[in-house]
Amino acid sequence: MMMGLLVFKENMKRLYAKCSLYLIPAVKFCLGFGVFYLINENIGFMARLKNPVIAVVLGLIASFVPCGVTAFFAGCFMIAHVAQVSLEVALILLVFILVVMMLYYGFRPGDGYLLLLTPVLFFVNIPYFVPLLVGLSGSLVSIVPVSCGVCVYYIIMYLKQNAGVLAGSTMSEMAARFLQIVKNVFGNELMWVMVAAFAAAILVVFLIKNLSVDYAWSIAIVAGVITQLAVIFIGDFNFNLPISASSMVIGIVLSVLLALIYQFFVFAVDYSRTEYLQYEDDEYYYYVKAVPKLAVSAPDVKVRRINSRKAVKH
Amino acid sequence: MLNEEKIRLMTEIAMFEKKARKEVFPINRYFKGDYISSHLIRSFAAYTFTCAICLALWILYRSEELLNTMDIKIFTDYAKNLAVYYVTGLLFYLAITWWVYFRRYTAANKNMKIYQAKLRRLEKKYEASASRESEGEQR
Repeated sequence: MMMGLLVFKENMKRLYAKCSLYLIPAVKFCLGFGVFYLINENIGFMARLKNPVIAVVLGLIASFVPCGVTAFFAGCFMIAHVAQVSLEVALILLVFILVVMMLYYGFRPGDGYLLLLTPVLFFVNIPYFVPLLVGLSGSLVSIVPVSCGVCVYYIIMYLKQNAGVLAGSTMSEMAARFLQIVKNVFGNELMWVMVAAFAAAILVVFLIKNLSVDYAWSIAIVAGVITQLAVIFIGDFNFNLPISASSMVIGIVLSVLLALIYQFFVFAVDYSRTEYLQYEDDEYYYYVKAVPKLAVSAPDVKVRRINSRKAVKH
Repeated sequence: MLNEEKIRLMTEIAMFEKKARKEVFPINRYFKGDYISSHLIRSFAAYTFTCAICLALWILYRSEELLNTMDIKIFTDYAKNLAVYYVTGLLFYLAITWWVYFRRYTAANKNMKIYQAKLRRLEKKYEASASRESEGEQR
């Protein structure tokens, strides 16, 4: 089983090395299309933009531009849909995204996609994967875009749940409506509990991943999930949150599976052959732990055709 | 004949150059003080802009309350509080900016030194191979 998976991984690497010129745009198209399609499905309030052809066209554009530009387009796309129902929510969303972009992305950290990936994974019910992924591969600073992504999702959900009420109100009630929206959006305990759960999970995964213990990545994944569950349960106990247990369990199981797949492709090592070395030079003692990578060479299958010679008829 | 060590060195240099084109070379064009202060000015502008839009949003949020209490003293109290928040936040944000760009400049400088050392090693290898060739011709 493990051998088969390793061979598959090697084959994937080979395929990537061979066809990366076509594979990268194809993957980017799929991601871009997926993002715009999900936005349309969940908050597709503007009939013109809801057309699937637009999602395809934007997906095609996404395949040729950097991920940050796609995230920017998706942000504009989202705000356009939101503005159709409520200008106030669109304004809050716009200011929120602008503040994050100016203050955080001024440092050019290159993780702009997290601001978008987090709400998108919430839409497909596997948000618990985000802190695991960020803790394993990113840095602690990525807590900022992930937390902001959680806030963006709950702002959108507020709009989705109250679309009828918000769309029906008049312009004269704008100030009162704005007050109500801000109170409801930022007074949402579930949102703050999720922000706390994700931030704590990123911290735990990141710290455990860097420990010098065997199976550190697997332990980090499990600890990350337990942390998320613990914070959500504490939040639920205190605020009586509206969380569906079944969808949360399904989401967590899928997230763990995805994290394990990610670990397999990025970090496959064989702890059974770990070597502990000790040596010294003039200044230091060195205690080295060397863990060999798990790798196999993909079988090189060649098909040789042996054709029987046909008798030549004269 | 191919010199494997030279090829390895050139590959390392080329890889560094590819990575450094965006991160190291632009930083190394400046003196440390200039680099950090230019980013501090940018951060100041970004912070002030975000504060301005947040203030606009806050005014919209409390517009009714503000219109009902047209008292100069309350307004001045609000202004004082806002100024304190603004200055405290600004100092904190500028401190973070200074720390980030100070570390970035130091790291870029260190990488640049390693890059220059590799270039010198490559140059020596070329000189050595050129002198060997000239010796061979003399014989």
